[in-house]
Amino acid sequence: MARQEPRKDVVIVGLGWTGSILGMELSQEGLDIVALERGADQDTVPEFKYPDMLDELRYGVRLGLVLKPRNQTLTIRRGPDEVALPFRSFGSFLPGNGVGGAGAHWNGLNWRPQPEELKLRSHVRDNWGEQIIPEGMLLGDYPVSYDELEPFFDRFEHVAGISGQAGNLNGQIIPGGNPFEGRRSRDYPMPALPVTYDARKFAEAAAAMGYHPFKAPSGIASTAYVNPYGMQMGPCTFCGFCERYGCFQYSKSAPQTMILDALRRQPNFSYRTGAEVLRVEKAPDGKTATGVTYWDHAAGEEVFQPADLVILAAYQLFNVHLMLLSGIGQPYDPVTGEGVTGKSYAYQMNGSATLFYRDEVFNPFVGHGSNGMSIDDFGMNQIDFGREGFIGGAYWRSGQTNGQPIRSMPLPRDSAEWGAGWKKAVGDWYGHVMSIGSHGSHMAYRGNHLDLDPTYRDRFGRPLMRMTFNWQENDLRMNQFMRARMAEVVAFMKPDLSQLSFKDLGARYDIRPYQTTHNTGGHIMSENPAEGVVNRYSQVWGMHNVFATGAGNFVQNTQYNPTGLVGGLAYHTADAIRRQYLSNPRPLV
Amino acid sequence: MRTFLRIVALLALTGVIVLLAMIFVPVRLTPAVAALPADWRPAEGQGEYVMRAGDCAACHTAEDGRPFAGGRPIESPMGTIYSTNITPDPDQGIGRYTLDQFRAALYDGIRGDGAHLYPAMPYENYRMLTEEDVRALYDYFMNEVPPVADPIPATDLAFPFNQRWGIRAWNWLALRHPAGFTPVYGDEVLDRGKYLVEAPGHCGACHSPRNLLMMQDGVTLDGGRFLQGGAIAGWEAPPLSGPASAPQRWDIPDMARYLGTGRNNHSTANGEMGLVVEESMQHLTPDDRIAIAAFLKGMPGGEVVLPATTEPSETVVIPHQPAGDAGKETEALLVSAPADMAIGPRLYADNCMACHFASGTGAAQIFPKLAGNTLVQSDETMPLISIILNGAHVPSTAQRPMQLVMQGYRDRLNDQEVAELATFLRSAWGNDAGPITTERVAEVRAETAEDAGDPDDTARD
Amino acid sequence: MTDLPGRPSRRGFLKASAAGVAMALLPLSAKAQQAAAPVPLEQYQPVFFTPAEWAFVMAATARLIPSEGDGPGAIETRVPVFIDLQLAGEFGQAADWYMEGPFAPAADPLLGWQTPLTPAEVYRQAIPVFDAWCAQTYNAAFTALDPARQDEALAALEEAAMLAPEIRDFFSILLDNTKEGYFSDPIYGGNHGMQAWVYIGFPGARGAFLEWVERHDVPYPLGPVSISGERA
Repeated sequence: MARQEPRKDVVIVGLGWTGSILGMELSQEGLDIVALERGADQDTVPEFKYPDMLDELRYGVRLGLVLKPRNQTLTIRRGPDEVALPFRSFGSFLPGNGVGGAGAHWNGLNWRPQPEELKLRSHVRDNWGEQIIPEGMLLGDYPVSYDELEPFFDRFEHVAGISGQAGNLNGQIIPGGNPFEGRRSRDYPMPALPVTYDARKFAEAAAAMGYHPFKAPSGIASTAYVNPYGMQMGPCTFCGFCERYGCFQYSKSAPQTMILDALRRQPNFSYRTGAEVLRVEKAPDGKTATGVTYWDHAAGEEVFQPADLVILAAYQLFNVHLMLLSGIGQPYDPVTGEGVTGKSYAYQMNGSATLFYRDEVFNPFVGHGSNGMSIDDFGMNQIDFGREGFIGGAYWRSGQTNGQPIRSMPLPRDSAEWGAGWKKAVGDWYGHVMSIGSHGSHMAYRGNHLDLDPTYRDRFGRPLMRMTFNWQENDLRMNQFMRARMAEVVAFMKPDLSQLSFKDLGARYDIRPYQTTHNTGGHIMSENPAEGVVNRYSQVWGMHNVFATGAGNFVQNTQYNPTGLVGGLAYHTADAIRRQYLSNPRPLV
Repeated sequence: MRTFLRIVALLALTGVIVLLAMIFVPVRLTPAVAALPADWRPAEGQGEYVMRAGDCAACHTAEDGRPFAGGRPIESPMGTIYSTNITPDPDQGIGRYTLDQFRAALYDGIRGDGAHLYPAMPYENYRMLTEEDVRALYDYFMNEVPPVADPIPATDLAFPFNQRWGIRAWNWLALRHPAGFTPVYGDEVLDRGKYLVEAPGHCGACHSPRNLLMMQDGVTLDGGRFLQGGAIAGWEAPPLSGPASAPQRWDIPDMARYLGTGRNNHSTANGEMGLVVEESMQHLTPDDRIAIAAFLKGMPGGEVVLPATTEPSETVVIPHQPAGDAGKETEALLVSAPADMAIGPRLYADNCMACHFASGTGAAQIFPKLAGNTLVQSDETMPLISIILNGAHVPSTAQRPMQLVMQGYRDRLNDQEVAELATFLRSAWGNDAGPITTERVAEVRAETAEDAGDPDDTARD
Repeated sequence: MTDLPGRPSRRGFLKASAAGVAMALLPLSAKAQQAAAPVPLEQYQPVFFTPAEWAFVMAATARLIPSEGDGPGAIETRVPVFIDLQLAGEFGQAADWYMEGPFAPAADPLLGWQTPLTPAEVYRQAIPVFDAWCAQTYNAAFTALDPARQDEALAALEEAAMLAPEIRDFFSILLDNTKEGYFSDPIYGGNHGMQAWVYIGFPGARGAFLEWVERHDVPYPLGPVSISGERA
């Protein structure tokens, strides 16, 4: 028999970036709100404090801030012919855990999508015709446009504290910025950060080759900063411990630095940690939710939390898992193409070049997660899909993020992996290496999807979610295109040695090495209930008092890191709830 | 506090004479400074506002205690004084106080039963409250504060400090200034600032030096060494007047920001001042904080330039500040990071430089500047050593909600290392203060052992 | 003179002791400050390993990161201590991992950890199997082989032909743990004296480099600091 808590106006599932944003914005409406976070509380001090945070083994290797698979994981298979097996020890992606979510341990790369990416199907149709869309690709338009989202991208960038330089201010191209980006109504809130030697070398080569280098936009403070909530950042000290770490310096954009202390002051907002939501409860007619049932880890019991409004703000994977477990949306069937929940799971297609310079010094430990210079000359809106034979694009970046030696020890491919040769190689090469990364788009496909696993269960006895995912030819071709272009840049830069790492055609998904925590889709936005789980306001079709935030909304993944779009959509949703929904709760579309 | 012992010795010498007078001359209470109409009522919130400005909770609310129920221990060399219950409970609190009795506590330091209050109660300053504010405060405590009937520990000082009549003689000397407030500027803002500083804010209680009798040496603008610097609980209460004082070095908005948020473009409020910000100053209106800053700026003759608006801007962006001329040499050494760096700068590079930078300039509103920092160079060395050992905490305020916490280095640095580091800080970037010994660090480490707990204790409530 | 089986090479041991003594005798110095000298490796009492396992790990890590040549080896940096403590702790028990069945240990390696065994169990089961293989192949235990033979045997272990699927990843786990112990903060028992950081020029837990962002192509000279405040 579940304990029952007093009714709230709003229950928020997950207190990461979007849960914090919705909590803050809706608390300003005077609503009585509770956020439920399955992990523990964590803050700059003591959890992220110096010097303890600068511990590669504990956080970088043993993943101290990441969700523990024993507490929640999923199964993975590369296709319907395989038996999915549990992701027992995380590698390919690293979901966050605890207050702040993955927003506590990210790198800080904050991009807006290109306008064309949000209307990609139209972009393809209008320029090349739909016949170039490969069989099995679920190419779609987002039901919102870049122009509609622009004020919300801007709002998120100012709350999140982003450093960068505009390339397109109200249509005017600004030298030094990204000339291919969408229109911005104003510049980034902070100037761009200085860059390290590797970035400068790359930018000089790129400029000489006629490309358009610019400083990467970064959720890392270049100055002292106070955001619209009065929350603060200190200038980054380039400590070289961003991804997988919380920032000890108040320098990284995170719920901890940008929202949470302000949110804690709101008298009508509270949050509970160790509160793991098991399912969303539905009214008998299934048309609304009545609240959520969660497991209270401290009390060791189930709790029903009634609420008028349910915000699913968990990480993409776990939002979809909750929907599948709660019967929100019809589960997607890849055979018939019917159903929506779990559909259009997408990821990211990345590659890189490593350049070795025997006599040059990079001091790789001087860095931060979004350090460096980028080019967008191979971005989605610069590529002739018809000519190149794929739909996609990538931005490139060079800028060292860390010199942590257990994991960040690139060696020439022919080096020994152990023994005297290995020891000599690490002595010879540490600090004399730089890299260039290609960060590419990933489309949605009929076969790549999420559903419930028939065999494996979590600690509550619920089925684990099952991911069916493999690389697809379209994206691999995009990657090979980038490889060829990057080989030209590498040759121009004349390293002593170099190597390229891009997945080949036919590559199968390897879940072991870290790739990216940019899992998208599964509860995508759509123009109508037949195609997706939520409408343009992230409101669930057919259950008007449930909203779902995060990258699960992505129709297909963009070529960029998702946080900028996730943040923009969250403010778009908050605005819709505040201005349209509260006065008259109903389906907004 | 040692001075206080001397005072008491003096008091004992003159005791016999004074005693006679005390026995035969009845206590005369200061009357109201204005006759308000019988139907006068304070504006809504006025009483609470005066309570905030006067920071009554700082002493009268115990840690984790109910509001104004007293019982907060105030350590003194004579023993522990427990603050009184000022809730309207008729037996434990002040519920039976008449307005005149209430005023007598504020103006004359006389308790309802006629006994003398210990001068830990700043009646030297509250004496200058206007009658309107006295009435508003009375109304607040009688009608808005919930009564608490819990008894508090009795203050039980050893002889002769338990002889409260001794305070009477002290009061004759300490309370020679007239009650009520005297405006002098003919300027609304400056006079408002003067009032807030002198009367409810009781800034002089810490920031004015004490004379030989441990009275505030100057309780008003025109008296003694008003606000020329004092000490409180081992912390220096830095001078608020004089060319090197913060109100002269900082502009008015920055001074007001310090009061309202505990942080500004130069420094952060630590220790006792952090509590003043948290309990009192952040609750004032922006205009009142500007008035205080303007008064402090203008008091010794600084040019008063008021900001056009007190509306906060949407965002604030302040670039990193390089070292000034005096700091260039230290900055150059730290930046070059030579392998054979001396122990002092090496410890700075290994423990402090991430936030305070090679320039020692920190970062606006978040990491205090160490170059030219008064706390770093103070003769009161406990705060600097304690912050290195135990860390520091700037409270959450409405305008700047983020709790800023510096972690302590108690476990990472031994006494000798802390001494080397503190000595470096006191001489780097043109700072000019004497060395800190290992023995002094050991003392502070022992004295502050109980502060060494998780700084999160305060950060999470 | 040959080293005893399972012992550090004489040269490595002397290097390690000399460094320990030198550091213990220094006054407060900007360049060298470390915690009290630890117990010498040969007196170390393993928490997890049996004596035979300990001898194997000492010998194997001494080949994975040998003492000869520039830079410290696994023995001077006390990597075996690190591995012992890791296997005794949460890592060894797979405390954070999803370890519910059914298991498919022979699954495609691209699907990651699928053995029912914890890392500690993999060590415990694999070491005797490998030792038996050494006995069969070389007529001697691994620890008794000369360094060249040990390298040859480890290369065979890397191929894993003698290992059942449940323990097939033993070599890569051992190698990963060896490198972790070499480069992690000294609080975990390895990277003794931060020697591995000094060797490659990693400044450890300093985390304060704003002033170096635009000092391009200039070597950073200052030595490392550890989490506990050791300096080198």
